[in-house]
Amino acid sequence: MTLGGYQIRLQRRTNLPGWKAALISVLAVLFGLGLFSIIFLQAGQDPLEIYKQIFSYAFFNPYGRGLTINRFIFLALASFAFIIPMQAGLWNIGMPGQLYLGALAAFGVVYLFGGKSGELTASGAVVIPLMIIAAMIAGGLYGAIAGFLKGKWNVNEIVVTMMLNFIAFYLVAFMIKDGGPFMNLGGRGESFELPEAARAPMTGGYPITLWFVFILTAVLAALFSRMGLGYQIRAFGKSPMAARYAGVKPFFIAVLVFTLGGAIAGLAGYHYFGAVPGVFKIARTYGYFGDLSFYGVICGLISLGNPIASLVIALLFGGLSIGGRYAQGKLHLPFGVDFALMGMLMISLVAFQFFYNYQILITKKERRLDVAVSD
Amino acid sequence: MLLFLIRSLEAAMIFTFAGLGELVDQRSGILNVGLEGIMLFGATLGFIAAKTTGNYLLGFLVGIGIGALLGLLHGFFSITLGVDQVVSGMGIWIFGFGMTTYIGNPHTGPLGLDKLATWFGVSPFFYLAVIMVVLVWFVLNKTGFGLKIRSVGERPSVAEVSGISVTRIRYMSVIFGGLMSGFAGAVYALYYNPVWNYNFLMGWGFISLALVFFSMWNPYILFGGAVLFGLLWQLALNPQMFFPGLASRYIWRMAPFIMTILVLVLISSKWFRSRWGATKPESLGQPYHKE
Amino acid sequence: MAKPNTKEESIELHGDIWKHIQPGEVVLDAQGITKRYPGGVLANDHIDFKVKAGEIHAILGENGAGKTTLMSILFGLLQPDEGQIYVRGLQVRFRSPEDAIKMGIGMVHQHRKLIPAHSVLENILLGHPRSKGVMNQKLAEEEIMALAERYGFEIDPRAKVWQLTEGEKQVVEIVKALYRGAKILILDEPTSALTPLETDRLLESITNMTQDALGVVPFITHKLPVVLAISDEVTILRRGKVVDRLKTAGATEQMLAQRMVGRPVIFDLQKEPMEPGEPVIQVEGLTARNNKGVIALDDVSFTVREGEILGIAGVAGNGQHELAEVLFGLRELEGGRILFTGQDITRASVLDRWKLGMGYTPSERTEVGSIPDFTLVENVAMNYYFDNRYNHRGFLDYKGLRQLTEEIIEEFDVATPGPDVRIRTLSGGNLQKIILGRVLSRQPKLVIANLPAQGLDVGATEFVQRKLLEARAQKAAVILISEDLDEILSLSDWIAPMYEGKIVDMIPAAEAQKDDIGAMIAGIHQEERSS
Repeated sequence: MTLGGYQIRLQRRTNLPGWKAALISVLAVLFGLGLFSIIFLQAGQDPLEIYKQIFSYAFFNPYGRGLTINRFIFLALASFAFIIPMQAGLWNIGMPGQLYLGALAAFGVVYLFGGKSGELTASGAVVIPLMIIAAMIAGGLYGAIAGFLKGKWNVNEIVVTMMLNFIAFYLVAFMIKDGGPFMNLGGRGESFELPEAARAPMTGGYPITLWFVFILTAVLAALFSRMGLGYQIRAFGKSPMAARYAGVKPFFIAVLVFTLGGAIAGLAGYHYFGAVPGVFKIARTYGYFGDLSFYGVICGLISLGNPIASLVIALLFGGLSIGGRYAQGKLHLPFGVDFALMGMLMISLVAFQFFYNYQILITKKERRLDVAVSD
Repeated sequence: MLLFLIRSLEAAMIFTFAGLGELVDQRSGILNVGLEGIMLFGATLGFIAAKTTGNYLLGFLVGIGIGALLGLLHGFFSITLGVDQVVSGMGIWIFGFGMTTYIGNPHTGPLGLDKLATWFGVSPFFYLAVIMVVLVWFVLNKTGFGLKIRSVGERPSVAEVSGISVTRIRYMSVIFGGLMSGFAGAVYALYYNPVWNYNFLMGWGFISLALVFFSMWNPYILFGGAVLFGLLWQLALNPQMFFPGLASRYIWRMAPFIMTILVLVLISSKWFRSRWGATKPESLGQPYHKE
Repeated sequence: MAKPNTKEESIELHGDIWKHIQPGEVVLDAQGITKRYPGGVLANDHIDFKVKAGEIHAILGENGAGKTTLMSILFGLLQPDEGQIYVRGLQVRFRSPEDAIKMGIGMVHQHRKLIPAHSVLENILLGHPRSKGVMNQKLAEEEIMALAERYGFEIDPRAKVWQLTEGEKQVVEIVKALYRGAKILILDEPTSALTPLETDRLLESITNMTQDALGVVPFITHKLPVVLAISDEVTILRRGKVVDRLKTAGATEQMLAQRMVGRPVIFDLQKEPMEPGEPVIQVEGLTARNNKGVIALDDVSFTVREGEILGIAGVAGNGQHELAEVLFGLRELEGGRILFTGQDITRASVLDRWKLGMGYTPSERTEVGSIPDFTLVENVAMNYYFDNRYNHRGFLDYKGLRQLTEEIIEEFDVATPGPDVRIRTLSGGNLQKIILGRVLSRQPKLVIANLPAQGLDVGATEFVQRKLLEARAQKAAVILISEDLDEILSLSDWIAPMYEGKIVDMIPAAEAQKDDIGAMIAGIHQEERSS
């Protein structure tokens, strides 16, 4: 194609340096935010002004910042749960199901220690670690189902994890509604509240799950960039056949990544229902929290599977979604602004995938000299 | 009992519409895992259009239109831009899920229009679904156009050197797939379950996708599977009709989803693959670059 | 559009420009064809040639000489930057293969352009005007049979293509081109996948076709006898340019080869005599199925010793590929036993086989042998991530791996900007050098080399073959799988021709006759024995 004196051509990339990939990701986010501002324009507002308010609420207002950090922890964990299988070329969209299972297991521990009545039969120092471990094991085992089916019979993991989401969704309903064992007798279809002693301790005003995020970031970064196991996962993700030839065991990798991902999603479930101040129960609207974990898909894709980058993205999206909720209230927008943002970011990201594969070359049109092939 | 059967067939017709579109799509080599997103869009926008104008026809047209547009978008991403088909499909699903949650929310509640007429007790769409099944089978297997679609899905480079435009055929297929899914969503929201609610589609798009894998890319088997799942869905909603008092209603609601997984395991097993596996379009999910 | 009604008409669909052809008249005239790829590579540099009616005009050249580009341009798959093409004096511009087909040009590709899952009839009908609307398969079948009869082809329109042999598939492609009305046939390496017998039959049919005033243009790399046997004229390409154009009559193989390569060709591989040592690998009764579930490897037994090369000869699809995969644990065994240095490894994992000292260079270099999106260093790590020298308590020593990669680049003379570029940027020859270098750097006791030189240019071929001989000199056992009999004969100590999953015979290199082996891989000896 020519435009004026310039020639515009598309060319397949042979190499993509890290900074260019990062730039493309940043542009994709900006483009998504641009798309998102349609919603504000439609409400007759100046998008720039609204964005200013969103950011100042999410990151500078003390109350908003607390919400942002809690959501950031959740999104970061959801991203890790997505990234680990993604590095192996597999799609985990079962974070909602895995986190429901994690939440149920954590509440199950409290239930076993008599916590439904409001008093624990053991000290919090015993119960809380057990809750976290149970959540991770339950999430991990639930994730492992998809990994097992993928590794053993190559069953499509997208459909399986999605179906597992619905199954877990009804399992939660069974446990907390219609006289289920976890039902809150005084509530409207929600679980019992955690007793004081079983609530996650706070460090510096934030739940301890924040530390899990930092530790996991370091561990995952080391795993993928330095460790032999991470190398095997990445090799399998790029080319399963070549990895098999190199001695990587496909079944092991599939089960491993889904177990790890599921365990981290289970932790996310523990976080939202057992550690976020002011919640401490499996709310009636648990489905909404589960679906929020799909943000993890976007974080994972945009950061190209890099755990450190995904942390930054999770913080940004955490703030945006909290700020979006705030703007929703302020502008009397319908429910689900944070989901609309999710949709806009996702579609923009997909469009920008193109630039990972192609580059646009703009050259001044001139007669080129013939270059002979040289040795 | 009769009502139970009728509702089952009506659920089946929706799986069939969405599944047929995806089947043609996959036969041309394009995998669209974003079926659910397109159905959500078709359902939500169709619902809003019909509710605000009081005009059913407009609702269906909007559903079909948005479906075709999203199909086109998937084609643009995966054929023209060369984006990974799964990434694009997942994108369309999350886009549909996120946007319809927001757009549909103010319209939460029943449609508030007279229910559409039935023929011999069953929705006319059911008869349309049966006709479509036969038609799609005939076009795919007996016409030159069908041969082109199948060839493009098997070996696009071969089709290209035989003088066929892979891009054109794939675009046509992917638009048809989107259109059918959008229509299926509209039928769901305007006839089968005319009450808009958060995430009211309950994964029907993903179940339809699983049905296409199950169908071995044969429209007749797809229809059979759809009827089976229609029955199962109704059973999960009304277990007391057959098994009064057995297990909580929430446990019953899991049944179709567990069944979907079992079906996928069955068709992925070695035993099944060795008999039917050869029918999978060879280049399903692989982008085609002209050399 | 008016549908042709009679058999004759459909064959002569584009007959208007093809009427009244005199033998010897120029039917295809390419002038100054030039094609430049991004990055400045000049693949075709002002190429001219003419094809006359009733003649066979061979285009000869090494890999990378620009043959594929030229072919693609003639068939409309690529557009030239400069130059004109005339068909019967009419200037044409092909935007797509469809345009070329309409002008009566047909092409038979080296890699079969057929759809395995479809029937022969469906394959032939694909893209044919006959297949508009509802297909009339019966009429088409009659027409195709008539056409096949005319040139002496045997064809079963109802068979599925995946059931056919390579030779039969080639016939289908030729019939397909003719049925679409091709008057000029472009054949890419027409004999490369055929047995000697199939080759003879094909050449006869091609000669038949020229009597119907068709131009035939085979493109050929290395089968020089074929060129001499059938063509009237030869155009020789080297580095994108026409270096010579001559009548075949009077030309010799030696002369053609020299023109093609640009220097005297000496295949002088230093093969030292070796005293065979201990057995490295012994296999007994290996039986396995292919991807379609059919028995592809049938009761195969052999032994290879230290310092020996066993050459497995055969036409593609006779079980050699399955043999390689079974030996390396990549394919399930139906029966049989594998002993490696006396140890039973029948059930060992792929990883264990690497650790025990086996090495494998697969024929699918980009799909299996390497990870295109990984850097050279990461690709070298494929054989070292489990090795204690480079894996310290779970952490990989990337510094050490980088150094190792640089050593391989140096020793194997790999042309690359550095060890940190993605391996997809390397050419085929350089990729193979890295793969081979990576495997040999482990100093394996056994190397399985599956089609190690396929598709490489002369220089890289020589290099790879020399490296295999070096491994042999260092007392490694080598299993060489090749479809090139000359390669097998010049490298092997023992030769095992394979046919339909069985090893036909085990011949010491000194007693091997090329003709005999050629017959064995075509299944002739076996038929004689059973009758």
